[in-house]
Amino acid sequence: MVTHDDILQIARLAKLSVPEEELDALTKDMGEIIEFANTINNAADDGEAFDNINNLSNVLRPDEVAPSLEPQEILKNAKDSENDHFLVKKRVL
Amino acid sequence: MKYEMVAGLETHVELATNTKIFCACTTQFGGEPNTHCCPICIGLPGTLPKLNEQVVNYAIRAGLATNCEIPEISKMDRKNYCYPDLPKAYQISQYDKPLCLNGYVQLSNGRKIRLTRIHIEEDAGKLIHSHGDTYVDYNRGGVPLIEIVSEPDIRSAEEAKEYVEKLQLIMKYIGVSDCKMQEGSMRCDVNISVRPVGSDELGTRTEIKNMNSITFMTKAMEYEFSRQVDILESGGEVEQQTLRYDEVSNTTSSMRGKEDANDYRYFRDPDLVTIFVPKEKVEGIRASLPELPDQKLERYINELEIPENDARLLVKYRKVAEFFEKASEGTKSPRTAANFIIGQIFSILENDSAKEDFEIKVSAESLNELIKLIDDGKIKMNLAKKTLSKMLETGKAPSELIDESDMGGIDDNTLNELCTQAIQSNPNAVADYKGGKTKAIKALVGFVMKNSRGKADASAAEQKLIDMIE
Repeated sequence: MVTHDDILQIARLAKLSVPEEELDALTKDMGEIIEFANTINNAADDGEAFDNINNLSNVLRPDEVAPSLEPQEILKNAKDSENDHFLVKKRVL
Repeated sequence: MKYEMVAGLETHVELATNTKIFCACTTQFGGEPNTHCCPICIGLPGTLPKLNEQVVNYAIRAGLATNCEIPEISKMDRKNYCYPDLPKAYQISQYDKPLCLNGYVQLSNGRKIRLTRIHIEEDAGKLIHSHGDTYVDYNRGGVPLIEIVSEPDIRSAEEAKEYVEKLQLIMKYIGVSDCKMQEGSMRCDVNISVRPVGSDELGTRTEIKNMNSITFMTKAMEYEFSRQVDILESGGEVEQQTLRYDEVSNTTSSMRGKEDANDYRYFRDPDLVTIFVPKEKVEGIRASLPELPDQKLERYINELEIPENDARLLVKYRKVAEFFEKASEGTKSPRTAANFIIGQIFSILENDSAKEDFEIKVSAESLNELIKLIDDGKIKMNLAKKTLSKMLETGKAPSELIDESDMGGIDDNTLNELCTQAIQSNPNAVADYKGGKTKAIKALVGFVMKNSRGKADASAAEQKLIDMIE
């Protein structure tokens, strides 16, 4: 069972704020999502069977350097930047 | 009550690959901000990471060099946490199927520090905090790391120091990392608790994050040990928390408490496929490992008959060990090369890092040539030492520095003559010697050595002088 506390905990980890009035609805939705995902648990008795579902292994890359992008390209979508750095509000982990 | 320390280390080692773990950007240290980045390592949507083969090889190398098992199947997982040093809000790491399991590192006191695991993961970006803002540089983001996790088998700060130094040396020998703590390519988290001596139970532990110097790590551990003992002695309880060590005040302070304990919600990274490591690959890598520091040490002591302390000094620096082996090859006693290196050569290398780099003008071949001249009786030790000094200054080979006329010892007649001269020219020293100052003989020996241009045998000269005077 998903509780209000679970929702608040998940929100806190994701650094989101959840208004009190949305708690009930979110708790119900999250419960249903998890219930849906549980279908998989009922189908599989062996977690290993899902380890390599695409039957691929060792898709590897040789250790050869290719050019990186220019900082202006890298920073193009940044909301804020300064001196070729991304700029964000300071937070403590 | 007497308490003992119980500590385990998580050691992050940056791998010396050319490119990052999941993209082809360079791993070079430093660089202008955000110039070693691409859509993959800044986590843009729609990009796909692809694992660098060399990262897998290096991690297995590290595992084999620390006595780990290498399971056939391994995989990558996402470790979720929200912080600006991670552009994706998760770090790609390994959770329940790491590349290496169950190894150990043995300390000089015989104790084995067990390794739980070694896994591969990506490094985070660099944050610079300033006036409420944070500047983010992702050059380091995606640089490959191995995390070496030990069991809580460490019992003192001294053991922790030796353990880390040992890991450092092994990683350098096998060429997977330069382990430069000052550049952050090796850093440790320390889990530490205390318990009454004799108890088997584990106390509540705290974790000291991100130690990037061995000196500070030992200080932090000693501080944290007494802090916890003080709490228990006064009837309190140690609180489980993550700590930061302050180098200036030599204290630890809380980064986050239990109520903020992380919930990383690990799950398999669906973008990355299973890593399959066949037995043959493991054996291939095992066969390619060089002689490891401990094996070298044992060989130097037992086969080459180098005194243990000297052997440790030679093995401590990979380049020195290589130099020593070349310089002593085919010589009568490897101790001669060892003495030259530890004595004369080390004396011009001021500190640890100079010895580490071992940038000297003398080649191992030249020293080998010099030692063979001694072995063949062509030059005496005195002249050899002087020649080595000149070699260290000029980089010239012995053959360029030693005159043909200097080669060979001197015959008995010449020695007699020189000793007679020495006695005649130094009446004061002779008088001193006769008066009981036996050390005065050294002045006379010095005269003989000087006038034979270092060719005379010092101990033979001394005996001869004593005989003559008495």
